[in-house]
Amino acid sequence: MSTATTTPTGGRELSQPPSDGISNLRFSNHSDLLLVSSWDKTLRLYDVGENVLKAEFLHAGPVLDCCFHDDSSGFSASADHTVRRYAFGSGKEDFLGRHDAPVRCVEYSYAAGQVITGSWDKTLKCWDPRGANSSDRALVGTYLQPERVYSLSLVGYRLVVATAGRHVNVYDLRNMSQPEQRRESSLKYQTRSVRCYPNGTGFALSSIEGRVAMEFFDLSEAAQAKKYAFKCHRKSEAGRDIVYPVNAMAFHPIYGTFATGGCDGYVNVWDGNNKKRLYQYSKYPTSIAALSFSRDGLLLAVASSYTYEEGEILHEPDAIFVRNINEVEVKPKPKALPVPPP
Amino acid sequence: MAHISTDQLLQLETTCGSFLYELQIIWDEVGETDTERDKMLLELEQECLEVYRRKVDQANRYRAQLRQTIADSEAELAAICSAMGEPPVHTKQPIQRVGNLKEELNSIAPQLEEMRKRKGERLKQFLEVMEQIRNISVEVMPTEYIPSRHVDESDLSIRKLEELYRQLESLQKEKNDRLKQIMDHLSTLNELCSVLGVAFKETVREIHPTLDDAEASKSISNVTIERLATAIGRLREIKIERMQKLQDLASTMLELWNLMDTPIEEQQLFQNVTCNIAASEEEITESNTLSVDFLSYVEEEVLRLEQLKVSKMKELVLKKKTELEELRRQGHLVVEEAENEPEIAISAIESGAIDASLVLNQIEGQIAEVKEEAFSRKDILERVEKWLTACEEEAWLEEYNRDENRYNAGRGAHLTLKRAEKARALTNKIPGMVDTLVAKITQWEKERGIGFTYDGVRLLTMLGEYTIVRQEKEQERKRQRDQKKLQGQLIAEQEALYGSKPSPSKPQSAKKVPRTSTGGSNRRLSFGGAATLQTPKPDYMHSAKSTRTAKKLDDLGSRGLDIAGLPVKKLSYNDAITKHQEVGMPRKPFASIVPVNTIPSAPSMPVIASTLEENQAPNKMLLLTPKNPATAAAVPMRVASTPAPTCLVNDGKLSVVASVEETEYSFEERRLAFYVGGR
Repeated sequence: MSTATTTPTGGRELSQPPSDGISNLRFSNHSDLLLVSSWDKTLRLYDVGENVLKAEFLHAGPVLDCCFHDDSSGFSASADHTVRRYAFGSGKEDFLGRHDAPVRCVEYSYAAGQVITGSWDKTLKCWDPRGANSSDRALVGTYLQPERVYSLSLVGYRLVVATAGRHVNVYDLRNMSQPEQRRESSLKYQTRSVRCYPNGTGFALSSIEGRVAMEFFDLSEAAQAKKYAFKCHRKSEAGRDIVYPVNAMAFHPIYGTFATGGCDGYVNVWDGNNKKRLYQYSKYPTSIAALSFSRDGLLLAVASSYTYEEGEILHEPDAIFVRNINEVEVKPKPKALPVPPP
Repeated sequence: MAHISTDQLLQLETTCGSFLYELQIIWDEVGETDTERDKMLLELEQECLEVYRRKVDQANRYRAQLRQTIADSEAELAAICSAMGEPPVHTKQPIQRVGNLKEELNSIAPQLEEMRKRKGERLKQFLEVMEQIRNISVEVMPTEYIPSRHVDESDLSIRKLEELYRQLESLQKEKNDRLKQIMDHLSTLNELCSVLGVAFKETVREIHPTLDDAEASKSISNVTIERLATAIGRLREIKIERMQKLQDLASTMLELWNLMDTPIEEQQLFQNVTCNIAASEEEITESNTLSVDFLSYVEEEVLRLEQLKVSKMKELVLKKKTELEELRRQGHLVVEEAENEPEIAISAIESGAIDASLVLNQIEGQIAEVKEEAFSRKDILERVEKWLTACEEEAWLEEYNRDENRYNAGRGAHLTLKRAEKARALTNKIPGMVDTLVAKITQWEKERGIGFTYDGVRLLTMLGEYTIVRQEKEQERKRQRDQKKLQGQLIAEQEALYGSKPSPSKPQSAKKVPRTSTGGSNRRLSFGGAATLQTPKPDYMHSAKSTRTAKKLDDLGSRGLDIAGLPVKKLSYNDAITKHQEVGMPRKPFASIVPVNTIPSAPSMPVIASTLEENQAPNKMLLLTPKNPATAAAVPMRVASTPAPTCLVNDGKLSVVASVEETEYSFEERRLAFYVGGR
C-alpha cells in the first residue's frame, strides 16, 4: 500500500524531531507538509513524503500551537505571548500581535480570512494577517472569555472555544460581538481539547477523565437528543479503571470518523454516528500529544510526546510517527442487525 | 518244425504217393516224356514248395504279430501301471518264456484290459475332481487362476488323486467359510440397518445382487466380502456417531429437565432415549432407535426445551433486575448509568451473545452486594427517616402556627393540638438527631472508605446544608425578633407620643415564613415584609415589650419619620431587607457550597426553579427585588450529564490520573510554570 516501510510501532518515524515536547502538529490543506510546534521553542516544517525537515523557526519561548496559512506560510502561538507568521520559503517572520499571557491556540479561518488566537489571558483575539508587522493594524477584535482558553476549533463560520472551568463558547465569525451559544461542557472534568465535525453539525469535547462528548450546535430537542458521551482511553486493572486524559482528536476529512489520542499512548479511531470503535493502533512509546490527518485522509501524523500529566518525570523521547491509513481502519461501520435466534 | 506224427507222414506219403502213382499212370497213359515228366514233377515240387513257403511265411508272420501284440500289450500295461502309480503287473523276462506266445497273449490281454478299465475309472475320478475344483474355484476366486480341465494323464496315481481330493476339500471348506462369513456379515448388516432405520435390501443389493436373492447362490468372492465388511464398518461408524449424538442430546435433555423441573409425564415420553444414555455401541439394538427421523425428533425436543429455558432465564433475569432495583430504591442507593443495563442485558440474552446464567450470576452478585450494603446502612437510614419525618412535622407545625384559627374548637381540634405538641417536642429533638446522624455517618464512612449516599446525594452534604439552612433561619429569626423588638419600641414610643397604634405584626399580608426544606440546598428568603417569627407567642411578647428606650426611637426617628404607618413600615422593611441581605447572604453566587467534584442534588433543582418563578411575581408587585442567592445552589447543567456509555469498557472505580484542584490548571500551564521556574 505504501512505498515506505511501516515499522511495527506504527508508522514511519520522522527524522530530526523536536528535542522537547510536541504541543501540536498539522498537515497542510494542500500537500503533505507537516507543521510541528514544540516546547523546544521551535516551529518546524517537515516534508513527510521525503522525511526531511524543511524549515525551522526559533522562538523566544515554547511554541504552544501552530497552523498553516497556505502551503507557503503558517502561524505560531507562543508562550512568549506573541502570535507570528512565518513564510517557509524565505524564512521571513512577521509579527502579528501579542496577548497578555501565553497564547495557547491559533487557528486560521479561510472563510473569514482571519487568524484567531486564544490565550490564558482569558481572551480570544482575531487578526488580519495582511496587517502583520504594523502595530494595531492586524488586530481585528478582542473577545473576553469566562476563563483561560484551552482549545479552539473552526468549521465554516463557526468557532468553538473551550476554556478552563469547563466553559464552551460557540461563536459565529461573522458576528463576534457575542457568542452564539454559551455552554458548559457536559463532561465533568477539565476539557483537554475541542474539535468540530467536518460536516459542521457539532463538535467533540475531550476531557482529562478519559471521556469524549459528542455535541451538536442545533439546540432543538431533536438534535440535542442525539448527543452522547463515551468513555475511552481507560485501562482496567484489578477492578478499577485507570483513566487517561484524551489530549488530541482529529477528524478524517473524508469519512467523518475521528481518531483520539490519550495519555495511555494509544490512538483509537471511532465512528461517531454508529457509536463504535473502528480501530486501535498499537501503543506508542508515550502519551499522544497531537494527531492530524492529511488532506486526503491517507496519512495520520501522531505526536508521541509526554504531555506532563504527571509532572516532571523521566519519559520516552518525543517522536513523530506518520502512518499510512488503511480504509478498514477509518471507514464507518453501520450497525449490524442482530442475528435472529436459531 | 512241428512234430508230424509218423502216421501222418505215412498218410501223407501215402497220399502223395498215390497221387504220384496216379500221376504215373496218367502219364503213362498219356505218354508223357520223361523230361516232360520230370518237368512236371519239378513243377509239382516247386509248387509244393511254394505252398509250403507261403504257409511258413504266414505262420511266421503270425508269430511275429503275436509277439508284437504281446510286446505292445506289455508296453501299454507298463505305461498304465506307471501312470497309475502301480508297480508293473507283468514283469516280462524277454528270454524266459512262461508259455507259448498265445498263452502269453492270453494272459496279458485280460490284465491289459483290466488295467485299461482301471485307468479309465481313475481318469473319470480325476475328471470329476477337477471339475469340482474348477467350479468351486470359480466361485471362490473368480479372477484368479482357474485350473484347466486338462488332466495330466501321465500322473494318474492315487497319490495325485488324493492330492486333488484334498485340494477339493480345502476349496470346499473355504467356500463354506466364506459363505458363513457372508451370512454373518449379512446378519450384522441387517441388525445395523434395522437400528439405523436404513433399508437392508437396497444396501445389500448394492453390494452384490446375488446377496439379496434368496434363491441364487451368493457371491462369495473376495470383493464381495470386502464390500460387505466396508459397508458394515461404515454403518457401524454411523451408528456410533448417531449414538453419541443421541446420548449428547439425551444428557442435554436431562440437564434441561433438571433445570426446569419438568414434570414426570413429559419425561416419560422420552424414556427410550434417556435409558440408552450410557449404553455402549453393542447394546443398542432396537430397530429405528438411531434412525434419522428419530434423531431429528429428539433434536427438536431439545431445541424446544432450550428455548423454553432461554425464555425462563429472561423472565428470571427481569425478575431479579426488578428485585435489585427495588432493593436499591429501598436502600436509597443510586447507581449511575443503570438505565441501559436492563435493555443491554435482555437484547444480549436474546441474541444469544451472553449466557443468561452469567447475567443472572452478575445480578445475583449485585443483589447480594446491595443487600449487604443496605444492611450496613439500615441503622443510618432509619435515623434519616426519623429525621425526615421530624422535619415534616416541623413544617406542618409552622403551617399550623400560621393558622389563625388553630385554637378554634372544631372537630378534631384536640387531635391537632396533640399533634402540635408532639411536633414541638420532635422539632426540639431535631438538632440532636442530626448530630447523632452525622456522627454515625462519619463513622460508617470511615469504616467503609466511601461516602454515604442517599438517592445519589452525599448524605453528609445534605445534612451539612440542612444545618447551615437551619442556622441561617435561626439567625433570621433572631434578626426578626430583634427587629420586632425595635419596632415594638418604636410603636411604644409613638404610642407614648401619639397614642396607640396598630401593632405592626398584624397586617403583614405578605409575611412568608421561610420554609424549611430538607435534602436540598435551596433557601427561600423572606421578602415583602418582616418575616414574623415561628411562633405567635414572641409576637405578642414583642408588642407587650413596646416600651423601649427613647434612644432607639431617636435613631429611628432620625431617618425622617414623622408619620407612623405604611411609609415607616416600608422604610423599615427596606432596612430589614438590606440588613437581612447583609446578614443573610454569606455566599456569593457560584461559590462552592457544592464542591466541584460532587453531584448537586437533582431532585431539589426543579423545586428551586419553580419556587424562584413563584417568588419573582410577588416581588415585582411589591417593588422589591431582593437578590436571590438561591441561584447559588443551582449549578444548572442544562446540557445533560454524561449519558449512558456506548460500546466501551465497563466501569470500575475511577482513579483519575490528574486531580482537579481548587484552581484548575492545564498540563501546559503547569509545564510552563515548571520551565519558567528554572528547569
